[in-house]
Amino acid sequence: MIEIKNLHKSYKMGSNALHVLKGIDFSVKEGELVAIMGSSGSGKSTLLNIIGMLDTLDEGSYTLDGVPIKDLNETKAANYRNKFLGFVFQSFNLINYKNAMENVALPLYYQKVGRKERQEKAMKYLEQVGLKEWATHLPSELSGGQKQRVAIARAMAAEPKVLLADEPTGALDSTTSYEVMDLIQKINDEGNTILVVTHEEDIAHMCKRIVHLKDGVIVEDKKVKQVRAKNYV
Amino acid sequence: MFDRDIWQEIFHSIRNNKLRTFLTGFSVGWGIFILVMLLGSVNGMQNGFTKQFNDDATNTIFIRSGTTSKAYAGFEKDRRIQLRNDDVRYIKKSFPKDHEQISARMFRNTSARYKSETGTYNVQAVHPDFQVIEKTIVTNGRYINANDLALGAKVAVIGRKVAEDLFDDEDPIGKFVEFNSLPFRVIGIFIDEGDDNAERNIYAPLTTYQKIYGNTDEIDQIALTYNPSYDLPKALEFSRRLETILKRKHQVAPEDQSGIRIFNYAEAFSDISTFTGGLSFMSVVVGILILIAGIVGIGNIMVFIIKERTKEIGVRKALGAKPSQIIKLVLLESVFITALSGFIGLLFATGLLALVGPNLDFPAFSNPSVSFSTVVTATIILVVAGLIAGFIPAMKAARVKPIVALSDK
Repeated sequence: MIEIKNLHKSYKMGSNALHVLKGIDFSVKEGELVAIMGSSGSGKSTLLNIIGMLDTLDEGSYTLDGVPIKDLNETKAANYRNKFLGFVFQSFNLINYKNAMENVALPLYYQKVGRKERQEKAMKYLEQVGLKEWATHLPSELSGGQKQRVAIARAMAAEPKVLLADEPTGALDSTTSYEVMDLIQKINDEGNTILVVTHEEDIAHMCKRIVHLKDGVIVEDKKVKQVRAKNYV
Repeated sequence: MFDRDIWQEIFHSIRNNKLRTFLTGFSVGWGIFILVMLLGSVNGMQNGFTKQFNDDATNTIFIRSGTTSKAYAGFEKDRRIQLRNDDVRYIKKSFPKDHEQISARMFRNTSARYKSETGTYNVQAVHPDFQVIEKTIVTNGRYINANDLALGAKVAVIGRKVAEDLFDDEDPIGKFVEFNSLPFRVIGIFIDEGDDNAERNIYAPLTTYQKIYGNTDEIDQIALTYNPSYDLPKALEFSRRLETILKRKHQVAPEDQSGIRIFNYAEAFSDISTFTGGLSFMSVVVGILILIAGIVGIGNIMVFIIKERTKEIGVRKALGAKPSQIIKLVLLESVFITALSGFIGLLFATGLLALVGPNLDFPAFSNPSVSFSTVVTATIILVVAGLIAGFIPAMKAARVKPIVALSDK
């Protein structure tokens, strides 16, 4: 699903460049649930941004579902993001004046899905994350865990190839974190490919594979025995 | 454009910034209000001028003679040019299609007496056509006719003031009044809408006066109206032809301005049109300058809104919004605010003009109003203004990098 070869990325900081990713080789097969771990500054967020086409690479190659991702202009990137990727952010990033259902329907709007179909699909995904009754509530009326579940429903609504979660539990307490991880595991059980960036060991162990980043290189890449989050809820 | 989601977002953003939207919208509405009021005022001035001139037929040309200022064709300069009956005939014959009415004019003073009442008045000896040229309104009796002219009849059409002065309560029609001791029969009384002084005039047949003054064929002035279907360039062209041919006839140098003088109302009108045209142009400039302040205001509020919504725009982009979709959202909002507030200004201005305008009637200012085309133009200006105001903020929004917007660590 994801093929990354010899990826380099550096940022200009005034006169000197900050080399963030120093030759990453990384691949993810369909249906995997991968945790990307590392301390801050290890380059894990940069890697996720490049995979999410929110940032460009300097050197190397990146193929997503057989499509080489290069020479992206804004419009093309927007198209690919919409078609291939679902995002879940640490701070949820729901649009505060749209209710839960409208938030979930937003990526479908950008796919030019008709209004009615959009609402039906959004309701379906809200039901999947257990928030059907909250469809007409604004984000400000939801708890943190609920917000993240709406965000996950939104990410899934576009039926992406890969779900990218950047510290999805970073702003949640542990019980809520496990609830969210339980949801992510369930989505993965259905065959969806998911990448989770985290720096929490217990969250990482709820994935099937852990990739450790340190100073811009992969220092460890191992399969783990998945801990089911449901046992902790 | 008629996407419900886009409008929902626009209304949301307006609801969230009510005061700011109102204040900037007000500046645009005010700009349009002033623009329309200025244009309406210029229109009022135009109406006022037109009304002032309306007293005389507007397609009138006056021909006067003077002394030459240049030596020409063997003649020395300072030669007096005299218009004669023969010039009237000559013009009639030379320009059958161009002229409509034509009349000679001879001006003399007279002391008039009826019974014990006396007074001094101006007598204009004219052809019957002069009634139309001067737009003289005869209220009692009749004007001079062809018969009077042919006979050289001692008849007179007197102004209302003259009638009041000399006849008190008597009906002057048919009475004899003495002009310089010669008896003239009063055949008509006229009024003049232009001014009271014109009503102190007396009209008499040209031939009669020429007989009295030594059987002369001299005249002081020729007045004529040109074909009313002529537009300004054609009218001016006609008066140039008239000038050329008369100068040739009287052997006046073509470039001599004082031998033969032609005054064309059309020219005066064109001067006034140029003047009011200049005023309209000035008011458009001033109005647009005021409008620009409004546009900058709207641009400013849009930049603010985008700054506030950077994160939201980033989220949208991460979810697959194309830059063009973001631009559309911002532009539409800007055009909406501009157009709405502008329309309110337009409505107020046209409403005020429609309400107050018809009641305003001063010599140089009458019924200020705006035409439909002005309203349409203003509307187009508003939409364009909205687009301009939204353009920079929209570009700024389109350039928002999702990664920057989303970095919350």
